[in-house]
Amino acid sequence: MRISLQTREKITLPDPTMLLKNESGKQMLLLGNEAIVRGILEAGISMVTTYPGTPASEIGDTTSEIASKAGLYMEYSTNEMVAVEVAAGAANVGVRALTAMKHVGLNVAADALMTLAYIGVRGGYVIVTADDPECYSSQNEQDNRYYALLSSLPCMEPSEPQEAKDMIKTAVEISEKLELPVLLRTTTRVNHTRGPVTMGKVAKPSLQGTLVRDVKRMVMIPAHARLMHVKLLEKVEKAREISENSPYNTVTRKGKSQIGIVSSSSAYNYAVEAVELLKLDANILKLGMTNPLPEKLIGQFLKANKKVIIIEELEPFLEVQIKAIAKDLAPNIEIYGKTVKQYFPRKGELTTRLAAEGLAQITVQKLPLDFKRIDETYAEVAKELPSRPPILCAGCPHRASFFVIKRACGDKANYPTDIGCYALGIAPPLNVGDLLICMGSGVSTAQGMSRATGEPTIAIIGDSTFFHAALPGLVNAVYNNAKITLAVLDNSTTAMTGHQPHPGTGVTGMGNPSEKISIEKVAEGCGVKFVKSVNPFEIKEATAVLKEALQHNGPSVVILRSPCTLLTIRDRRRKGMTVKAFRITDKCTDCMTCIKLLGCPALTIENGKVHIDETLCTACGLCASVCPYKTIEGEEAST
Amino acid sequence: MKEFNIVLAGVGGQGTILAAEILGVAAVKDGLNTRVSEIHGMAQRGGAVTSSVRIGENVASPTVLEGQADVLIGFEPLETLRNLKFVSERTFVIMSDERIPPTELAAKNIAYPSIEEILEKIRKFTESVIAVETERLAKEAGSILTRNIVLLGVLAASGKLPVKDESLIEALKELVPAKHVETNVKAFKLGYEYVKKKT
Repeated sequence: MRISLQTREKITLPDPTMLLKNESGKQMLLLGNEAIVRGILEAGISMVTTYPGTPASEIGDTTSEIASKAGLYMEYSTNEMVAVEVAAGAANVGVRALTAMKHVGLNVAADALMTLAYIGVRGGYVIVTADDPECYSSQNEQDNRYYALLSSLPCMEPSEPQEAKDMIKTAVEISEKLELPVLLRTTTRVNHTRGPVTMGKVAKPSLQGTLVRDVKRMVMIPAHARLMHVKLLEKVEKAREISENSPYNTVTRKGKSQIGIVSSSSAYNYAVEAVELLKLDANILKLGMTNPLPEKLIGQFLKANKKVIIIEELEPFLEVQIKAIAKDLAPNIEIYGKTVKQYFPRKGELTTRLAAEGLAQITVQKLPLDFKRIDETYAEVAKELPSRPPILCAGCPHRASFFVIKRACGDKANYPTDIGCYALGIAPPLNVGDLLICMGSGVSTAQGMSRATGEPTIAIIGDSTFFHAALPGLVNAVYNNAKITLAVLDNSTTAMTGHQPHPGTGVTGMGNPSEKISIEKVAEGCGVKFVKSVNPFEIKEATAVLKEALQHNGPSVVILRSPCTLLTIRDRRRKGMTVKAFRITDKCTDCMTCIKLLGCPALTIENGKVHIDETLCTACGLCASVCPYKTIEGEEAST
Repeated sequence: MKEFNIVLAGVGGQGTILAAEILGVAAVKDGLNTRVSEIHGMAQRGGAVTSSVRIGENVASPTVLEGQADVLIGFEPLETLRNLKFVSERTFVIMSDERIPPTELAAKNIAYPSIEEILEKIRKFTESVIAVETERLAKEAGSILTRNIVLLGVLAASGKLPVKDESLIEALKELVPAKHVETNVKAFKLGYEYVKKKT
């Protein structure tokens, strides 16, 4: 049979080693994240650490593919804090390093970040934080520019792939000049936009560091921290000088009017296009280095205009600071943005339309396009459309896990869940997932819920997330004797972000084999007395194990282990294996039990009859197991 | 040419991103400025996905404004409807006939609308629309996985694209795995001829 959906997981260059070619001056179409990797190579960065997370994942994945050829070290660290600490160790002995993560990853790493700012670095160190306005793949849409303000670290914001590449090099230079880590804050529309990028020269990485002992600077006990905080504040002023003179902070458009626009990052593109759309005569100040802000440059721009409009995505980060600058340097200027009166939204992704609508309102103009009419016509069509949210794939072992969990624990149990594909378990008909905060929150929130309700509580977590954030929570459950069950849905990969390795997979980011760390042994080592693993497709056995776990007096861990179906499909394809889809026989009574219980995308209804889409079916056999009349036939495929 | 906007809409796994990437690489080969946008992660897993390709000197942002698509390529009929907000009288709509019923339809026992019903709705936005027998053509080429390339063939044959056909084929050869190049080139040609025969 054929598999109809593409399972190309790494949506990057077909041959990432193309990035290694030292073809200075050549132009290539690169994804923002690939451009960042080229920047890593051009800046001579020798160590890259990461934990995968959309929209940053391809930075690590592309680096992983080329690391050994490029002569640099990369790792998928267990979490973002570990990633920052590993890189900070290297950067403090003079090696150039970079850590990439999604925005919420920086929350995990924040403890290290805040004090690393005091200590600083010796080799250039860049932290890429990829924000996700509109929460395309995230649990929130926080604006990480505030981390720059909070930590006093320099921050750069590229608006497109070429800048993303070039800024890596600049960030390394600034980092070494100031001996400070530099944040490179991107957004989804920078990471996941492809654009033409002109290559620069590739530099040779050097993973040879030397520790120069300097305890006062590097060991942050209170007496040293007080001194280093003063040093950090001095560095901020030096950084401001760099910001004042940075080629990335510049007036990109000069008009004849006294209307000024200030913008940065992806928002800059929308601002420019909105100005074009409205044929507005305006001056535009583009800011590429947004912490610390170039106060003098902004002051001059304010004085040269009568009205200044700040166009930025998410929070009024620039606006609030620019208003403060204006109070001293240009007190009579009118400033418009999203504080006091909201001309632009403070949530979601900005668009050229939103930028144009705000600008039109401020400058009292009519929009040249009748968006309202388009909206109304479209609303007619949209209201009848069935939704198509992301769902668990056909053959996904998580579907089997949720089915057995529900069967064993029932509707009355509480199901705190976690970050990963299994968050999709909330969709009907599975309906598993009651509370989700952040990586690793399931195992800990379960303890509070269980104590407060006295009800059976089953926390859901994946294998990669288990290593990332579950261990302190699990130790807590054991030591405080919480009556919870932790169901580890182990699909042997980091599936949601593109199948990256983790400590349970047996391979490293460099592509080298490593001994797998056993989830069972880790749980036992934490002191869990009930630890069992089972294949979720073995419905009877898995249900029995879960029921037994619920009876256990104290925390229990059940590992539901079966590989991600996308990996299985890929392996089958490589081996040239074909599997036969399951069939609905004539005996089918149209009771729809399979559809009602499983919601598998391969199960459809045609002319009132259940039908198995043979292009989607992976022959997992789950539907045949749940059919009450045994009218679904087929042979379960081995992997 | 001021700007040329293409919206590609389908279901995660149908190859919209690769099609968008091929268009972008071809534009760069022709010395044109371009921005290609895509959403990864959560949007895959069988969810609705929309990519866009914008070509033109002053193009800055990667996303297309409402009503401003020059071409909408719908990889799936219902997804074509979902993206009609990008369509106006000037838009050329290429719609694949490959139906992937959303699970909501099965759960609520609702029938998938007919292609004619869907075309009728599209015609309220633009008269310029072609329904392509993508499944048949892709299978004829050798694999349903070439559905995206069939649709690129259709787009090239429309003569609207500001990118040379040869550049598209070159980009395709660079981006698909070597052992599948032949199948994909065949798919491109089948899509191309499909339009030529119809017009």
